[in-house]
Amino acid sequence: MAEVGADEQAAAELSEAAHTELLNLCEEQYAQLEKLQNDILLSEPGFGENPQEQSVNRLIATEAELKQWLTVEPKLLTANSGVLLQEGKKEILKLCSELEMVVSCYEAKRAKLRETKELEQKWLEEKKQALVAASDHVKRLQIEKEQISEQSILQDTKVKIQKMKVYQERLMECLSEMLESHVPLPESDSSANKKKKNATQEFNEDLISLNEILELLMNKALETPHDPYVTIDSTFWPPYIEMLLRYCIAVRHQEDNFKIRLEAFC
Amino acid sequence: MSLLKPFSKLPTLNTASILLVESEEQFQQSLADALLEETAVTMNVRLAKSLPLPKENEESRPRIDLVVFIINLTSELSFQSAEASLKHLDSGYFLGKVCFLVINARNASVPIERLDAVRRLAASLHCPLLFAEDQTPDGVTNAAERLLTILKVAAGRVPMATALYLSNLTRCTVPPDIDQPSFD
Repeated sequence: MAEVGADEQAAAELSEAAHTELLNLCEEQYAQLEKLQNDILLSEPGFGENPQEQSVNRLIATEAELKQWLTVEPKLLTANSGVLLQEGKKEILKLCSELEMVVSCYEAKRAKLRETKELEQKWLEEKKQALVAASDHVKRLQIEKEQISEQSILQDTKVKIQKMKVYQERLMECLSEMLESHVPLPESDSSANKKKKNATQEFNEDLISLNEILELLMNKALETPHDPYVTIDSTFWPPYIEMLLRYCIAVRHQEDNFKIRLEAFC
Repeated sequence: MSLLKPFSKLPTLNTASILLVESEEQFQQSLADALLEETAVTMNVRLAKSLPLPKENEESRPRIDLVVFIINLTSELSFQSAEASLKHLDSGYFLGKVCFLVINARNASVPIERLDAVRRLAASLHCPLLFAEDQTPDGVTNAAERLLTILKVAAGRVPMATALYLSNLTRCTVPPDIDQPSFD
């Protein structure tokens, strides 16, 4: 019915004969439609209301429709070639416009995919570069490993030891210079400071310098690590001991007040 | 009190008729305007607040190809009204010529049970259930386009397809776990 209706517009440009033929066809179809309509009105039974019956109705209707589709035979709209040509043209044009839409859709999709591909390729390139750099590094390390012999290691170590010795020498020199200028022996100190004049007179003549105290402490700590304590005797000037204790350079023995040791610095 | 029947009248040439039923009459008008943009067929849009339709217009009324119930999820009344209107529809309509259009489903204040109820109703009647956005012009156009697709089939404008066939594919089904209590 719908097809016939659509045809009618197209048929306006057709020949008179084709036009009348189409109209006749329409009339025929319409007459059949009216007949069917009457049949429906006459035979329409009261349908049930509940959902179960609704489902049954639906099943019956679907089955009927299926049967109808199975038995229906495709038939030509009309034998008139003019009408068919017109209709075919229309269909082809419609199909063309639809296909054009599909094409534009796919072109957009393709452009997007291409963009993604470029991004991925860039990413791949970066990864490849990273891989090359890493493998280069590995190769270099391997070559280095092969080239290093026992001799060269020994040489290296010797150079390092030499360096360390020089460094230690410098440190020691620094320390002694500093001690000399800042913490001299009490004798020389007393002559400069008149307030302490009375006190210095009591001092023992064989007092040792801070330098020597530190040396004693260090040697003791290194030589007998299990017993690093040094006994304080009269040669140790008490202010020096006091200073060492106060600045946490030395610690007193927990039980014996006359013993000190070097603070464990490491 | 007469039933609205799908085949009680002869079809008009090149015409598709749709009946929009909405108790609140908010969305109806804009949707109708969007539907009338269609030019390939003569569109015939009828609006109703509820069914049954008044007797006095019966003569001039065309054959209705598709009945759309618009349900506003934020109002209980809208759902009840649609449910009551269904009784005035001939069961022949339920073979693919009825569909439900839900609006405001995204509103946060909507109780979830109401959506379930609408879903169950649509599933028990084997009708398609559509969701639409009524606030934006785009949403209205989209809803109109979807309705037109169904309407064209229901009005017999698509060769080799019938309303029953389409609705067998698009009808709403209730998910099996809808009745089970949720654990959250």
